[in-house]
Amino acid sequence: MDTIRSIGVALDQTAPVVTGEAALVAELKAGSEEAFAYLLAVYQNPLFNLISHMVADYGEASDVLQNVLLKVLRGIRQFNGRSSLKTWIYRIAVHEASNHRRSWRRRLFHEAYSTDDETLHLNVQASIYRSGRETPYSVYEQAECQAEVKRALACLAEPYRAVVVLREIEGLSYEEIAEVLGIAEGTVKSRLRRGRETLKRKLAVRLSRSL
Amino acid sequence: MIFESCAEIRGHFSDYMDGVCPAETIHSVRYHLAHCSPCTAELERYGALHSELHQLSRQQVPPGLALRLRVQMSQELHRNLSQRFRVRLENLYRPVWFPSVAGALVALICIVLMLGAGTPQTSNIPDVPLDLVTPPRVQLLAPMTFDTGAQPLVLVTYVNAQGRVTRYRIISGQHSPGLMQRLDQMMYYSTFEPATSFGQPTSGQVVMLFRTITVRG
Repeated sequence: MDTIRSIGVALDQTAPVVTGEAALVAELKAGSEEAFAYLLAVYQNPLFNLISHMVADYGEASDVLQNVLLKVLRGIRQFNGRSSLKTWIYRIAVHEASNHRRSWRRRLFHEAYSTDDETLHLNVQASIYRSGRETPYSVYEQAECQAEVKRALACLAEPYRAVVVLREIEGLSYEEIAEVLGIAEGTVKSRLRRGRETLKRKLAVRLSRSL
Repeated sequence: MIFESCAEIRGHFSDYMDGVCPAETIHSVRYHLAHCSPCTAELERYGALHSELHQLSRQQVPPGLALRLRVQMSQELHRNLSQRFRVRLENLYRPVWFPSVAGALVALICIVLMLGAGTPQTSNIPDVPLDLVTPPRVQLLAPMTFDTGAQPLVLVTYVNAQGRVTRYRIISGQHSPGLMQRLDQMMYYSTFEPATSFGQPTSGQVVMLFRTITVRG
């Protein structure tokens, strides 16, 4: 799998669509298990991160990720290479997360959902185990801050949240976001502007404190 | 340069932060920021928001889920019956193939070593008779001629551990001073293989018979 390794380097460096990606796609289309294992290794964490911000629930994100990868696996033969593999996979993930969120909200009907306590608890636990030097208080404060940002993000309307997550957290370019969401770059700009504006308003107190 | 109001300038902040503004807008924003502290503070809030979002902890796939994804992917790739059977077979023999191959190799090496040790090897050391007791043997008899007369001469010779004759005794046959002298000379120059006891050389005796043989013709 030397070819695949060289492709991996190219993708990690976020190079444009390279011939290596074509080789990877060819291997994926041929049903190579090694190629899919590589794909999984490269994309599972970014996708999980993206989906968790889109559906705002850790458990639901796992189900959505499984569905996304299943769709990638089944749909790779239809991938025509007009966009990069990364944007194609991200597009599937965003659509799947949106669909899941819609059906989930329908299921819950009017029941309000909150990720506050659980997310905060999980983050505090994880951070305390990870950091040895920080005090429990600072770790908790940091986790609380992150939870607040996540809450604000979760409250954003879906079109804005998708753009903000893809830009601010995943670091995609405007062009890539436009490809992923299937919208014009101008729309990406305006949604990002409005999304940021809304977030800034929701987090006004915190942002003033941090200045 | 276009002179815009604070609200208009703030509308460019999002693009300005991402560096996607036209050059003219960038100049306008910079000029405005140089003279407007509320807008500068507003831009700083945008920066702080960017920083907060960027610092959000990245979710990692838990190990259990990663394993589930691999299994799911493998099952999806091997959906037909023969492929599934092949994968199951591989999964069955994969955990045992290494120990079994290693075991077979070790056994093979042991067998080869044992066979190598069992092959007959030639030794340069001459064989040593391992009988309990062996008599002395004539190794080299000095070429002496003497006349024993009509009767054969029988004598007992005592040979020491070095294979030399220490003494001898005539049992039957003629006794003459000339013959005794010739016999002394012969015994002196003859060498014997000494007698052995449990493989060790020791003294012993050997009976020797001499007879005169006349060849006509």
